[in-house]
Amino acid sequence: MKRVLLVLLLGAGVALAAPKVGSSVTIRVLSAKVMKSPKFIGASAGSVSRGDQLMVKEVKGDWYRVEGAQSGWIHKTNVTEGKVALSSKPGGSGGNVNRDEVELAGRGFTPEVEQKYKQSNPNLDFSHVDAIEKTSVDPAELEAFAKEGQLP
Amino acid sequence: MKRIVVPAGRSKSVPLLFGPAVLAACLSMSCKVQLTPESIAKSWHAYQDAKKDLTPENEYYVGRSVATNLLSRANYKYVEADAYQSGELGKTTAYVNAVGNVLAAAAMGMPRKDDRPSPIAGWHFVIVDDDTINAFAASGGFILINKGLVKAAKNEDELAAVLAHEIAHTVRGHAIGSIKKSRMAGVYKEMLNNTVQLDEQQLGTLTQAFEGAMTDMIDSMVVKGYSRDTEFEADRVGLKIMADAGYDPQAFIRFLDGLEKKMGGAGSGGFKSTHPSPKDRIAKLKAEAAKIASVKAPGVRTERFQAAIATL
Repeated sequence: MKRVLLVLLLGAGVALAAPKVGSSVTIRVLSAKVMKSPKFIGASAGSVSRGDQLMVKEVKGDWYRVEGAQSGWIHKTNVTEGKVALSSKPGGSGGNVNRDEVELAGRGFTPEVEQKYKQSNPNLDFSHVDAIEKTSVDPAELEAFAKEGQLP
Repeated sequence: MKRIVVPAGRSKSVPLLFGPAVLAACLSMSCKVQLTPESIAKSWHAYQDAKKDLTPENEYYVGRSVATNLLSRANYKYVEADAYQSGELGKTTAYVNAVGNVLAAAAMGMPRKDDRPSPIAGWHFVIVDDDTINAFAASGGFILINKGLVKAAKNEDELAAVLAHEIAHTVRGHAIGSIKKSRMAGVYKEMLNNTVQLDEQQLGTLTQAFEGAMTDMIDSMVVKGYSRDTEFEADRVGLKIMADAGYDPQAFIRFLDGLEKKMGGAGSGGFKSTHPSPKDRIAKLKAEAAKIASVKAPGVRTERFQAAIATL
């Protein structure tokens, strides 16, 4: 029987603990709002993009107070403590990424695969989904909407 | 179960299936494969459950293609398409996206164990110009809701029930969970590859898996439907999401009751083929809804709902 060596990835699949104060996190989503207070709905300090690095100054539950390109609060689901590959952004370079970056971006269904799929399905028009995903709802307007509707 | 020897004297049991699967992948990739302990462990997880291993990035790309395929079936007819092309949301779409994003914020703010991470390109609620009753949650935050379903809601709280159910499908990973494990073989093989750049053959294999994954997802959404338990889970989680967002959970029951009356008795095709009957859904949901305090919706919510959908 063939013997296979296996190093257990004890932390795999388990949610990472909050980053330490003073460490840096990287924006994982394509763009995110850094909020003035730790909540999804309300005034934002500004936008950050995938790959931007921010320094963690305080941790409050699932929210991190950060400083960097923008300063304020960001939710943990928008960041990673690893690196991200910018090629995972539509229209990204697709090249100049090292192995670690590829690992962290995740292999599998990538821009290259989508491109290949498009080539073999020229009848599909991706311009619609491109336009749809460029739109967003401003969190400050969302706060006014929620307040008007008496939603907490 | 088969024992696998681990360095430093540790050992771990893994399913017997794992051995042949790795071996098959290794053989098919011949000398290009460089097995590492990390890649083996990763592949084992991938084989176990695609839902757990597809990254938010993977989910986003497959979601874009699923949404494009679904829009293509509707001949790319969706409400206020011109505004989208100008980078904006039209009046009705902006309203539906506001309700949807209030709900999504509640879902992300109070996640359940094993919820999917937030979509990397945000949440997008598109109203498809189709009068039939249906809605689809492609992965990656793309939610398509037919005009007929929006019009079936009587007020904002009932619309919130519809959107919360679709958000629940997304956060619980129901679409990507419908990808057959056999489809993941291509992805699984690529995960064993230790090179950065993919060659044509590898890219071809992945694209094949990508197409297969979409077929499975669309089949589940449009033709076969999810299992009854999956739909009931989306109802249960959706109910919690809408209550967390401040909407009246009883509106979910009222919406389903209205749907039962609107859709009539037995029938087949579309929504009826892919969902349990509203009557069955109400029976399952009533006890859950009774546990959550009812909320009296202020008139302004109904007024703005009526103003927003007036042009549909």
